[in-house]
Amino acid sequence: MKSLLIIQGDNSPELLERLLRVVRHRGFAVQNLNAEISKNGQALHLTLTVCSERKISLLTKQLEKIFGITKVATLSQEARVKVSA
Amino acid sequence: MNGANFVVHALKQHNISQVFGYPGGAIMPLYDALYDGGVDHLLCRHEQGAIMAAIGYARSTGKVGVCIATSGPGATNLITGLADAMMDSIPIVAITGQVASHLIGTDAFQEIDVLGLSLACTKHSFMVQSADQLGPIIEQAFELASSGRPGPVLIDIPKDIQLGDALNFSPIHATKTPNTINKVAINSAREMIENAKKPLLYIGGGVGMAQAVEPLRQFIKKSKIPSVCTLKGIGAVKHSSPYFMGMVGMHGSKASNFAIQECDLLIAIGARFDDRVTGKLDEFAPHAKVIHLDIDAAEIDKLRTVELAMTDDLKQILPLLETTTSIGEWQKHILKMKVDFANRYDHPGDAIYAPAMLRQLAEMQPRDTVICTDVGQHQMWVAQHMFVDRPENHISSSGLGTMGFGIPAAVGAQVARPDDTVIAVSGDGSFMMNVQELGTIKRKKLPVKILLIDNQRLGMVRQWQKLFFDGRYSETILTDNPDFVTLASAFDIPGETIATKSQLQGALSRLLDSKGAYLLHVSISEEENVWPLVPPGAPNDKMMESL
Repeated sequence: MKSLLIIQGDNSPELLERLLRVVRHRGFAVQNLNAEISKNGQALHLTLTVCSERKISLLTKQLEKIFGITKVATLSQEARVKVSA
Repeated sequence: MNGANFVVHALKQHNISQVFGYPGGAIMPLYDALYDGGVDHLLCRHEQGAIMAAIGYARSTGKVGVCIATSGPGATNLITGLADAMMDSIPIVAITGQVASHLIGTDAFQEIDVLGLSLACTKHSFMVQSADQLGPIIEQAFELASSGRPGPVLIDIPKDIQLGDALNFSPIHATKTPNTINKVAINSAREMIENAKKPLLYIGGGVGMAQAVEPLRQFIKKSKIPSVCTLKGIGAVKHSSPYFMGMVGMHGSKASNFAIQECDLLIAIGARFDDRVTGKLDEFAPHAKVIHLDIDAAEIDKLRTVELAMTDDLKQILPLLETTTSIGEWQKHILKMKVDFANRYDHPGDAIYAPAMLRQLAEMQPRDTVICTDVGQHQMWVAQHMFVDRPENHISSSGLGTMGFGIPAAVGAQVARPDDTVIAVSGDGSFMMNVQELGTIKRKKLPVKILLIDNQRLGMVRQWQKLFFDGRYSETILTDNPDFVTLASAFDIPGETIATKSQLQGALSRLLDSKGAYLLHVSISEEENVWPLVPPGAPNDKMMESL
């Protein structure tokens, strides 16, 4: 099952590393990743496609706990296709 | 004021009067500040000992434990302790020195990326990158370590920042508004409790960590719902509570495990459905609806999908859930199981039977004794056969299962509670893993009582080799152990060895009556196993009780 995650956090040097560690450890594989720093340099915006047999909520709840992450939103790949169709 | 002095100042501002650590090159400025800074520092003899002492301090008091180490090997030696604190949700602030900022990333002497190393075993890790970050980071570290689900936080401070000027920092303490409790959820939970015929409380370490022992006991007093606990939940419910059945899970009591399998409503309070508790997850509490109360939303539906969950402070929730029940038949059944499956201590022969010895010790120990354990068979025997009436009085490495935990944890507990008796129960395998901390006991003249249960084996592994690996005792035979009493005497710790039942009463009395530290070394048979045992992959009601 693929899921699209939209994540925002503080722009700190290790946030991406911290986040990717949690993604792997909780049993999700990254299929696509885009990271951008906001214009004022304060925030990091990520879009992330992950794949796993596990429920995406198991990952999002862990990501929400990471200090410095301010928003985690999901859009399942399937739902996204239906919406765009 | 330089950065190092500021750190000591900030520790005092957070009411930290005691820290544990080990100095080294990159942390020297902080040790210079500690020299006359007004915070007591206990030199442990290994950084792993220092962090486990900090855990013992935190567990026995409910306060934040603080430990300090240098860069490189000092920092890497903290990792096991950080992982231990992470698994057991212990509030720890670990401060490490780092090489000077301009040397970071150059493979400098004693440089290691401790922030990177610690990501998997801390609630959060900070590296201070400029003097102005020092104050806010220390403030955030203490807040993070102790709030929500507690855990370890690491602060890595480069040497130049310790030596450089610190900037003034005045913390702004925001007033916290208590969560608004979901009244609909409370009413639903009460309705589920009132309608249940066989409700059961499954009590975890979260109750003690939330300092919700009294609200829990009030809830039990009113509802009279039977209860079981996890290893870390020991002490939350009074041992003498009529419908309390003790520990559940792999080495849980028969009554607890049967009750779990029979209940129709399971109320998990500060517990996380760990595999050592649930056995075969699909068959755990198969007839039960589940209410899960836990501060950590990530624990909800992680392993068991539940009917109702609340992630608020247990101190707030439990009083709102108080209600009466009408479960007389279930209570009678629980009482009958407690009698039918009560532990037996009759044991043939002269050799010391460890469960009976621990029971005897529990009956002899002074009030408010702190029991610290290592990891293995003795740890399970303590959980099964001793009794503890406060979570702060049972300190064990539950989630990580860290051998070598017991002695340094006892050091921390004894420093924190100098007037209480502290007993470290260890095994011959675990004892050797942090044996250097006998030096810390000697240095501080701590009156830690050590009960070393010696079967000349790595007993728990041996038990599994016997049961599941055809008795192929690969690397678990320790007949070449040192003479433990002589070893202790090298640290000015008196002791004795016993091996027969007739010696027990006198030896336990000498252990408890000793004014200083004491080692009671007890030889037992390697054939003794921990029963009952739920074999791996089996449901909890399929317990083995003998070979």
